[in-house]
Amino acid sequence: MKQDYLLHKWLNGEILTEAEMLQLKASPEFASYLKISDASATLTPPTFNQEANFKAIKNKLATKKHIPVKKLNPLTTFLKIVAVLAVLFVGYKYINSLNTTVKTEVAQTKNIQLPDESEVLVNAKSTLAFNKKTWDKKRELSLEGEAYFKVTRGKKFRVKTALGEVAVLGTQFNVYARDKKFTVVCYEGLVQVTLPDTIIKVPAGNNLRVENNKIISFKPTQIQAPLWVVQKESHFENAPLRDVIKELERQYPITVSTKSNRILDKRFTGSFTHKNLETALKTICKPLQLKFTISDNQVSIYAK
Amino acid sequence: MERKKHFMDTSESVCSETIYNKVYNEHSKSVWRFIYFKCGDSARADDLVQDAFIKLWQNCAKVPVEKARSYLYTLVNNAFLNEIAHHKVVLKHRETVTGNTDNQNPQYLLEEKQFKEKLENAIANLSEAQRTAFLLNRIEGKKYREIAEILGISVKAVEKRMSQALANLRKEIENI
Repeated sequence: MKQDYLLHKWLNGEILTEAEMLQLKASPEFASYLKISDASATLTPPTFNQEANFKAIKNKLATKKHIPVKKLNPLTTFLKIVAVLAVLFVGYKYINSLNTTVKTEVAQTKNIQLPDESEVLVNAKSTLAFNKKTWDKKRELSLEGEAYFKVTRGKKFRVKTALGEVAVLGTQFNVYARDKKFTVVCYEGLVQVTLPDTIIKVPAGNNLRVENNKIISFKPTQIQAPLWVVQKESHFENAPLRDVIKELERQYPITVSTKSNRILDKRFTGSFTHKNLETALKTICKPLQLKFTISDNQVSIYAK
Repeated sequence: MERKKHFMDTSESVCSETIYNKVYNEHSKSVWRFIYFKCGDSARADDLVQDAFIKLWQNCAKVPVEKARSYLYTLVNNAFLNEIAHHKVVLKHRETVTGNTDNQNPQYLLEEKQFKEKLENAIANLSEAQRTAFLLNRIEGKKYREIAEILGISVKAVEKRMSQALANLRKEIENI
């Protein structure tokens, strides 16, 4: 134990006395420990190249510095996000702005249910467009041709045509907008018709006719609902045959020719059915003292 | 004033290049040897020392000067522990060029040479823990306390490792 203590004391660099040294060497075991320890102290590890390693460290640090650290620029990142959102927003708006378009062909009527349960009956050869998505905010549609509206109560309901705009709150009315002829008949409630230069309020049971932006007539009518809706008839009051024929061509897949242009100015009051071409032609021609022939889709009308 | 200045110096960070260079000059060699005693691969020791000093530079703000030394030892030691392959530790005796060699008889010189060779092999065969402690003491001349600090063990444990190392070395040298 004493020798052990002395050995460690000596290994730990403390100076031993002569006597202590002798005591250690007395044991062959400890003598050999001393020899081993002394010999080990003269060992050398391979040389450490301090300078070369320092250079290597500096190089590594330098190259690490040169690796460009891509800094995320918070502004550009933000702008990218904004750009994506903007594109999405515009796209969404665009899709939203796409209108639902209803188009009817000759001899075809369509009953359209609008998003708020308002109904539109679109007459033949007409185009109606509205936006389903924005309907709750804006009850607005555009019309080219003729349509009958049953509007449920709610926000202002607008029908835009090239010839004027009809605005209502909740009512039933018919809009006719073809060839510079604009006719609004109100059957229930009150409609407001905006023309390029005036605004006219049309109460229930009144018929407003506008031609070439001029009011031709604004008078009460007895009809409860448009004939083309109720009885499948087209109705005319003191209309030139020219217009009647055009309507006929819209309701039947035919082309009408007349032998002389003079008869086109004849005035017609009455209605024709949409169900039978021959009956319709008879109701038109008889009071005007005209005759007609039908061959395939060609109808010829001529004076007696 | 003088005391204050001294205090400022010791708490200065390694981020100053002069201080960093000083730390390198003071400690790189002993850190390198320490890791060489462990792994026996000078190229590997180079790498470990370089990595440790690079890390020291990168973390200079967090490491006060007085902690730099133990920080370096910890870094290389941890890196070493992560290594799987260990190499044989190769140590060579210095060519003892002393004037009185001619006076010694050839028999003695031969025995001495053989003894040293045996010792070199025996050290290489020591366990890593014993060898590191033993060589830090013998070659580096470190006190037990310093070794205990570097290895993160108690002085008693260093003593034990030294005793075991000597016993193993003797056994191996005398058996051969």
